[in-house]
Amino acid sequence: MASNTAPLSLTDLSSQLASTVARASEYIVAIRARRRIPSSGIIWRDGLIVSASHTVRRDGQVAITLPSGEAGNATVVARDPETDVVILRGDGLPAPAPRAQSNESSIGSLVLAVGRPGRTTTASFGIVSAEINGWRSQQGRRVDGILRLDLSVYDGFSGGPLVSASGGVIGLNNSALAGGSAATLPTSVIDSVIDQLLSRGHVSRPYLGVAVHPVTLSSSTVGQLKLDRPDGLIVLSVTNDTPAEKAGILVGDVLLEIGGAPLTKPADLFDALLARTAGESASIRLARGGDLKTLNVTPIDRNSGADR
Amino acid sequence: MTSILSPESPADATPSALVDLLSKWVIEVRHRGSTGAGIVWGKSGIVLTNAHCVREGEDPQIVTALGTRRGRLLAVARDQDLAAISVPGLEGPSLRLRDASALETGELLFAYGHPLGVSDALSMGVLHTVVRHRNGEPKFVVADIRLAPGNSGGPLVDADGQLIGINHMVVNGLGVAIPATAVAQFVDRVRTARAA
Repeated sequence: MASNTAPLSLTDLSSQLASTVARASEYIVAIRARRRIPSSGIIWRDGLIVSASHTVRRDGQVAITLPSGEAGNATVVARDPETDVVILRGDGLPAPAPRAQSNESSIGSLVLAVGRPGRTTTASFGIVSAEINGWRSQQGRRVDGILRLDLSVYDGFSGGPLVSASGGVIGLNNSALAGGSAATLPTSVIDSVIDQLLSRGHVSRPYLGVAVHPVTLSSSTVGQLKLDRPDGLIVLSVTNDTPAEKAGILVGDVLLEIGGAPLTKPADLFDALLARTAGESASIRLARGGDLKTLNVTPIDRNSGADR
Repeated sequence: MTSILSPESPADATPSALVDLLSKWVIEVRHRGSTGAGIVWGKSGIVLTNAHCVREGEDPQIVTALGTRRGRLLAVARDQDLAAISVPGLEGPSLRLRDASALETGELLFAYGHPLGVSDALSMGVLHTVVRHRNGEPKFVVADIRLAPGNSGGPLVDADGQLIGINHMVVNGLGVAIPATAVAQFVDRVRTARAA
């Protein structure tokens, strides 16, 4: 113990943790929309609650318990199945959650997962253990910045906030994103999902209408077409009445680039489409037979019923 | 509730002071090859542990820093998972008990015991929640803390070294402890019965 710094006072640290939880509990509600144990929700904006969609099993009006312990009501507004985010509107909600500083969610930062699976709050304590980039939803959406946590998952974990040492919210906890282990969807992703859900009622998903598989072209083809690289995506099918068909893409075409960006794996095509808004056209460079072609495609929004 | 135990000035709330205190309270309770933890209950000559760490009608072995001796099993409450063992002459520092009703979610808690046979190990966690009886009395203290077999019967304390409860079991990865107040009531019953 030959340290010249003051020894860590456990009592001080302990009371700071408890007061952080107490502050966080001011913006956490309990949502009674499944059997047995209620789930947690975060007051995210004025009058708006976010939670993990899979824990809110009913639509329409659901019963909630406010931070004060009083009973209240909220209405499910919209869901994004890909990120498992649900938003609800409630009356008489207290102020929204303050956001954490960006430097409070580094690998190793101390964090608390706070929930309200009933009337009182519960907490678990640990550290941020990793940041996952390039997580993909089952529909292929790429989400960056999901945090893996070294802390216990408990009933009511999903839908509650990950809270920084200063009491701000880092993100929305959801064990379903990481196969049952502790994970958090970052604030930036939630804000973008909420903005899209509120303005359009759904999260946009630009759609082309092709199924592709990665291929490597022979060196003679690469030489003949004077390509920079041998990789591409071969078109296995083209769906009727889609942007791909309208643009003239055929089965057997090898897609090489979209908007100048190389296509070496199917995810590259997904990401390029998601980076655009529906209705914005893009040029696709492809190899067909012994020739190079460039076609213009205009992806549609597949999640929008009107465009189907 | 602390009547039988003289209050002591708070320990210096540092990790090393806490370990120093806990190492004087906690002993090993051995029974047929299994190891649990036990708490030396002040100067009473009684060791408290879980009922599942002993077997009725059989006297367990008590292992302290000074050696191994046989204790006498005084009382077992299966429904509360508590057992009292008489070890005459064995004394520890005075215990300060804390009522679980006063606990705040998120505050630091520490467990001390012999997880998986590793002697005298400290674990740290936070209060997850307090499960209550219908009348509002604390029933269980639930902590987000890593426990293993061998922590059973050992203490759960706060950052100040006050006894919160006796570690009882692990449910879904969370530690479940019997509140210290319930343990003290059990000790009072045992001592009354012995005096009578």
